[in-house]
Amino acid sequence: MRREVPADVVIVGAGAAGSLFAAKLAQAGKRVVVLEAGPAWRLQDLVSSQLWARRLKWSPGPVLGSGTAAIGNGFNAGFGTGGSALHHYANWFRMHPEDFTEHSDYGRGFDWPMTYDDLRPYYDRIQSEVGLSGDAAAEIWRPAGDPYPMPPLANFRQGELIAKGFAALRLRTAPTPHAINSTEYNGRPACIYDGWCDAGCPIGALANPLVVYLPQAQQAGAQIRPWSYATRVLTNRSGTRVSGVVYKDRNGEDHLQPASVVVLSAFAIQTPRLLLNSATHQHPRGLANSSDAIGRYMMVHISGTVYGLFDEDTEPHMGVTGGSLVSQDNYAEKKKSNYYGSYQWLIGGALKPNDLLGIANARTEVFGGALHEFMAHAAHAIGSMALVGQDQPLVENRVTIAAQNDKFGVPLAQTTHQFAPDPLKLYNAAMAEGLDIFRAAGAQEAWHGQIGQQHILGGTIMGSDPKASVTNGYGQTHDLPNLFIAGSGLFPTSGAVNPTFTIHALALRAAEFIQSHWGSLS
Amino acid sequence: MGIGRRTVLQNAGVGTLVFMIGQRQVWLTPKEARAASVPFQTLTPSQIAILDALGDTLLPGAAEAGIAHFVDQQISIEPRDALLTLRYLDVAPPFARFYQQGFAALDATSEALYRGVFVSLDDGQRHDLVRHIVDGNPPGWNGIPAPLFYFALRSDAVDVVYGTVEGFQKLNLPYMPHILPDRSW
Repeated sequence: MRREVPADVVIVGAGAAGSLFAAKLAQAGKRVVVLEAGPAWRLQDLVSSQLWARRLKWSPGPVLGSGTAAIGNGFNAGFGTGGSALHHYANWFRMHPEDFTEHSDYGRGFDWPMTYDDLRPYYDRIQSEVGLSGDAAAEIWRPAGDPYPMPPLANFRQGELIAKGFAALRLRTAPTPHAINSTEYNGRPACIYDGWCDAGCPIGALANPLVVYLPQAQQAGAQIRPWSYATRVLTNRSGTRVSGVVYKDRNGEDHLQPASVVVLSAFAIQTPRLLLNSATHQHPRGLANSSDAIGRYMMVHISGTVYGLFDEDTEPHMGVTGGSLVSQDNYAEKKKSNYYGSYQWLIGGALKPNDLLGIANARTEVFGGALHEFMAHAAHAIGSMALVGQDQPLVENRVTIAAQNDKFGVPLAQTTHQFAPDPLKLYNAAMAEGLDIFRAAGAQEAWHGQIGQQHILGGTIMGSDPKASVTNGYGQTHDLPNLFIAGSGLFPTSGAVNPTFTIHALALRAAEFIQSHWGSLS
Repeated sequence: MGIGRRTVLQNAGVGTLVFMIGQRQVWLTPKEARAASVPFQTLTPSQIAILDALGDTLLPGAAEAGIAHFVDQQISIEPRDALLTLRYLDVAPPFARFYQQGFAALDATSEALYRGVFVSLDDGQRHDLVRHIVDGNPPGWNGIPAPLFYFALRSDAVDVVYGTVEGFQKLNLPYMPHILPDRSW
């Protein structure tokens, strides 16, 4: 095994959280090494094609899924620098205050080990650093926070049409807040509404890590090592502290990267896999797992798409993939008449003909000549909106280690996930509402797709109780003080908004905690 | 950052796939590869025939658009480089196994329902059989779930017919690339 020069901090994963950690800690003078399993993407690799976009998705060994609602890792997880944030849609919402106190308020799930007010300053600072477009006044549901630094992105015809349906039912919409520039910001250009967000944004209008925190990290001296596949986290002899990370290079050679502090930001499935695969005789159930919570409480957002065909050109190819409008009228009150949970609608996302979320898959049962007819019509007449609904943290929804190994002989991750009754009731109620909205909007025909998922959350949840959670509110593991976890795996409850803004806010808060406590950590 | 708004990078090298002709690597679209009769690397003649027949049943024109060459090239390279929808569906590589199992199951069902393999059926029978795999496993089917096979193959057909610059043009949609695929698919 090749022993690398010791670092102050080694970070596993160069996605949203890892990139931010690298930038902040390197700027604070720490020697930072980032291990990324995939390639070092360049902006010119982000080709405008739904086919070529698939290279950005996780590939080094499958995640074996099971359960009645198996977690869809392949579409969510990234591969290479930028991680899943390289192909994300940049819908940046704040979690709501009520998302932080569900156990206290409703006896459901968990309380977060912080309140919204604790996190608010970090949301405000991140939105200023990164640049967000939106209309804070129009978002009547928005938690307290600074106004957006840029005006909202443009709306397009399908968004305008669907908004009429909301208005007819006395429901409200507002421009979606995006980490996409509506005007030039910090030297990055404005969006041109070509709808290729999920293929990666090569002009830098969308704030992916390649144009925000990774360049900052590199400029401050952080080493980003692509094709470095972490296989094990090591501890000292007594098992009281972590000491570094073992990884494979592209040729399969083992390297040891010693470090004073280890940050795992390898996304919600690979981080617990790495911890479980790092078991020692002092930590027989895996590192940082005295609570037996590693891998547990895996969540997604239950999702579904409502479609309609209109009698005018909806320009569905225009705009941004994440949609131009949002409605959160059914968010604040979680206890509904016959189910529990929040949800939001993402309205008028740009659609391309092919791919998982493309026009053709709006009608998966149609094939043959009828599919050509549908495509010709829908390409100019379709409108859509997507549900983001709350999942419940169930102890049995988890990541475990599979019997099957990857090509390096490292056990793969096995996931088990099912929806509790509440999310399923939420989905049914939302789909019925969505169809009503589309009919009120004047759609000639309206239908909805099957139950889907967005985002992956949990698995290394944070909490105040070391017996029931993996980390504290800074992502510091309860068991090993110099081991930190970052990313959506920390979420103890899912809320019902896209998680990337919160991932950034948590990471900024944690990076500053590491800086201010460096003496006790190193 | 080196890339301006709506910049077209002619050197992106992205619209084509690498096909082998003899010992030479040639960049071609699947449609061009089909027209040039580029040798297949993994699929057998019977598998090629069933893929063309199934592709045209799922979306007429898929065979001419090169679905067989597309799939063959994609299942013959490293899974991490593959552009197949299968990447999204958490199917464990090798991806060739998925297609081969699906073809075998399709033929077994075809034999069970029509007493003949899929390519021997007329268009109406093929259409009828595909209807049976949309949302469940029909008689004789075994192995990978039939709806998953249907979804993946239908996606492949849509990819080669509509997921291209040429495909957008068929739908009168502007492609509007940030970075343009350098060939017409």
